[in-house]
Amino acid sequence: MIAAFAAVLRKDLMLEARGGQSTVALVALSLLVLVVLVFAFDPGGGAQGRAAAAGALWVALVFSGMLGATRAIAAEHENGCMRALLLSPLDRAALYAAKLAAAFIFMALAEAAAIVLMVLFFNLQFDARTLRVAPAVMLGALGFAALATLLAGISSRVRGGDLILPLLAVPMFVPALIAGVKASAMALGGAPLAELATWLKVLAAFDVAFVAAGYLLFEYVALEE
Amino acid sequence: MNGRPMRLGLGTGVLALMLAALYMVFVVVPTEADQGIVQRIFYFHVPCAWVAFVSFALVAVAGMLYLWLGDQVWDDLGYAAAEVGTIFCALVLITGSIWAKPIWGAWWTWDSRLTTTLILFLLYCGYLMLRAMAGDSEQGARFGAVVGIVAAIDVPIVIVSVRLWRTIHPAVLVTRQGGHGLEDPRMVATLLVALAAFTALFIWILCLRFVTLRMRTRLRALAGSLAMAELAAEP
Repeated sequence: MIAAFAAVLRKDLMLEARGGQSTVALVALSLLVLVVLVFAFDPGGGAQGRAAAAGALWVALVFSGMLGATRAIAAEHENGCMRALLLSPLDRAALYAAKLAAAFIFMALAEAAAIVLMVLFFNLQFDARTLRVAPAVMLGALGFAALATLLAGISSRVRGGDLILPLLAVPMFVPALIAGVKASAMALGGAPLAELATWLKVLAAFDVAFVAAGYLLFEYVALEE
Repeated sequence: MNGRPMRLGLGTGVLALMLAALYMVFVVVPTEADQGIVQRIFYFHVPCAWVAFVSFALVAVAGMLYLWLGDQVWDDLGYAAAEVGTIFCALVLITGSIWAKPIWGAWWTWDSRLTTTLILFLLYCGYLMLRAMAGDSEQGARFGAVVGIVAAIDVPIVIVSVRLWRTIHPAVLVTRQGGHGLEDPRMVATLLVALAAFTALFIWILCLRFVTLRMRTRLRALAGSLAMAELAAEP
């Protein structure tokens, strides 16, 4: 179980390290989303600018997460890799956990870059406040990766499924999105971590629920190629 | 099918109950003092919401039973409930907007209940899109069950986060729907009749959709065995 998990995860990480472009694409997409939203909102300074920055960061997270999950599963379907994975005596739950871990790692890297880009584009300062955004964003990335990995398993097997992924993932992610944007805006405004606790708890609850749901339900999604 | 007289009887009962509910709403119940005539939409709004929530719970339960037992009958029930529930959820949003415009002065506000209902509606629109795209297959049924369960897991988290979002956010509107009170016993009676009528309507429509889907399932099985027989008959 652990060995299977480690093997699939190592394969994904090695693939990425040897010229896979997932993380680069995710960072590039985050960059574009942030640029577009700067044009869209033309944010000034102060509380409004910080709220816009927090919102833009989470929009970037949703877009890059969707791309990452689609890529991770689509790559398996190319060259019949998925068939090999499903033929092997590999526990479906372990496969899900490995795919989720890989998606989370790529997303976490992209989000770290997105936080830096957000500070630059929205004229914020690099200080402790920026760091306090990180817990919410990482919890959000985990939740989105858990959700999108399960749903990408479905959408990759349905004709026209790339339309289905955002239609299902975005409304399901709404509670985490609300909590994440609030927590990020408060953190950027200088609130200590303790004040963010309520929102971080919502994010943690979302993560627990969706990691568990994906872990238990993935075997019904990945029955056939 | 022997269910036909039963469905006919149910349909007649629904018609009688709906007429009774309309009579109560337009003739019997007194006009609410503060809100005036618009408040009467409440007697249709609340039953629609009740039916929508019941059907979404049914989608999740049927999904679990389908994954557990693997019997197509549960998927047919879940799919039928999702279709009916989405229609009633749309009716909740529409009747709510019609009420909100004169009372709140806006078609839409981001009140916690409104937001939650909208997200619920979007979730099940996604479910129906998936079912339409996945086609009439065992795989589509499985995916539908998974999404139905995951959506039901999502709902409590949506409710909590939206409520927190609303209490921390400054209140745009001081008046809330909670001010109804239903002081007059005729109001309570009207609401109860309307609830009964909409529940009966829901059961009736659900039955009709369910029977249709059952027929589709049988047709699929027949087509499958016919194809097998043709293959076997070939020299």
